Amino acid sequence: MSKSKHKTNDVETFSEKEPELKGTLIAVFGLGAFIVISWIIVYVLFVSR
Amino acid sequence: MTMINNTSINKDDSSLVMAHMWVAFVSLFVGGLMGLLQTLVRSGTLTLPFGIGYYQILTVHGVILALVLTTFFIIGFQFSLMSKTVGMSNKQRDSAWFGFWIMLFGTVTTAVTILLGKASVLYTFYAPLKAYPTFYIGLALVVVGSWIGCFTNFRQLYVWKKKHKGEKSPLLAFMVVINMLLWFIATLGVAATVLIQFIPWSLGMVDTINVLVSRTLFWYFGHPLVYFWLLPAYMAWYAIIPKIIGGKIFSDSLARLSFVLFLMFSIPVGFHHQLTEPGIDPVWKFIQVVLTFMVIIPSLLTAFSMFATFEITGRKKGYTGLFGWIKGLPWKDVRFFAPMVGMIAFIPAGTGGIINASNQMNQVVHNTIWVTGHFHLTVGTTVILTFFGISYWLIPALTGRKLTAKINTLGLIQTIVWAFGMSIMSGSMHIAGLLGAPRRSSYSTYGGTEQASEWIGYQIGQAIGGSILFIGIILMVYIFINMVFLAPKGHEEFPLAEVSDDAEPTPMFLENWKLWIGITVALILFAYTIPFIDIIQHSPPGSPGFDMLIR
Repeated sequence: MSKSKHKTNDVETFSEKEPELKGTLIAVFGLGAFIVISWIIVYVLFVSR
Repeated sequence: MTMINNTSINKDDSSLVMAHMWVAFVSLFVGGLMGLLQTLVRSGTLTLPFGIGYYQILTVHGVILALVLTTFFIIGFQFSLMSKTVGMSNKQRDSAWFGFWIMLFGTVTTAVTILLGKASVLYTFYAPLKAYPTFYIGLALVVVGSWIGCFTNFRQLYVWKKKHKGEKSPLLAFMVVINMLLWFIATLGVAATVLIQFIPWSLGMVDTINVLVSRTLFWYFGHPLVYFWLLPAYMAWYAIIPKIIGGKIFSDSLARLSFVLFLMFSIPVGFHHQLTEPGIDPVWKFIQVVLTFMVIIPSLLTAFSMFATFEITGRKKGYTGLFGWIKGLPWKDVRFFAPMVGMIAFIPAGTGGIINASNQMNQVVHNTIWVTGHFHLTVGTTVILTFFGISYWLIPALTGRKLTAKINTLGLIQTIVWAFGMSIMSGSMHIAGLLGAPRRSSYSTYGGTEQASEWIGYQIGQAIGGSILFIGIILMVYIFINMVFLAPKGHEEFPLAEVSDDAEPTPMFLENWKLWIGITVALILFAYTIPFIDIIQHSPPGSPGFDMLIR
């Protein structure tokens, strides 16, 4: 019992230390989307020619 | 060690670095002027006087900016980083000066040959275009001089490691050594083609040259060259910008890992510049395309790391919301703003690179001015704006002066002018390229063909953008002169960031040089050995030289 409580505390402490990076996640996804969309535009041009 | 009051590093080291900076900024002015003339000629608005050829100024532009400015700035900047992090002995400084003088002598030799009209072969000097021997000899000396810089840097870290057994090397020193390793391994290719093929051929000792071998050796060097330009910018992004914005390095391990991956994957990829070239087995082209795409991994690691640094720093300053942290960045500090605009430019620049390297899709853009637009975004914006961003603190730190509020504001204007001019010029180049406009060509109506008439509007766009960029160059040269001679005496910080407290400790295997060099060499041998033997065994007859082909 005490062991599992200790474990939970550890997890909580770890979570508190993790920096919040939601903006980074969205920004990196946005970057990926930009790459994919640009690539597809040129791919369509390649296929259409 | 002699120290003077205001410089951030040893006075003798400052002189060494400043010598490199002088060559870089003189090159910026000369090369930039040639760029302006080119765009004016190409749009049909100017005819060059005194029999000066378009390809002559194009060669000056490419060689002076892509090879001379970059190499001198990078080697000088890296010496400043090494001096600051691991120190420099008198012997090491002497060898650095020796390398500098050899590079400068080589640069002058090559530049004079081009200016005399004896080497209008462009910066890629593709055979069978033949230049006067001193063009190649000068280039070879630049490479040899840079090798002395390489080995000086290796020695600096080696000596530091011997004194600090068991410690991890300073991050920036590690990065410098990775970049110089990359440079040394890559330049072996261009040295081989210049020494074994071009110089004997241009001296008339042999009649013909194996064109495909020369181009393959050139691009073995040519692609890592791009990363040799880019990695010093990444050094600033990873390890200097966090300090400027009031933050810390997101992860020391991630930064080192990305540099190691660049070392491994930026060399065995030259075939993606030769995708339309006959004589290379398509299987090996495909393998090198796959290896090229591996470079995307450290690039995206870098993007993630930068976003994370910005977000963590912004949030620590109290900014909330999904993107509220963007407001927390010091947009009015040119030391941040110029490299940041460079980073933003790298999003379309990197995307264009992925398109270029996409095997068959390369046919859409190959040899079009899209490619020129691409590298004016990568080296001409991302890299150079970061170099300008570095200059705003490095030059005053070296000259014992201050970056004044006035110069900071002028720097912000310079960055905006640059970004605006480049958006017009590079944007026009990208679109015209998709419409089929060729690169490397002077003004022509192509016999009045309809397709060529579609390009002219974009060529005028390039001239407008190029003219705005030249204003940016004049501003930057003024800023340089101000920071060297006119700015008030004082102390300018040499900003070196610390690693975040949240970052995990750096594992020591990241400094296993034998492992990383071993993998790099193995990848190069894997990617090149069989196709190279194939190229030599099945070569067509060599070509005689053509020295009057283009004017």
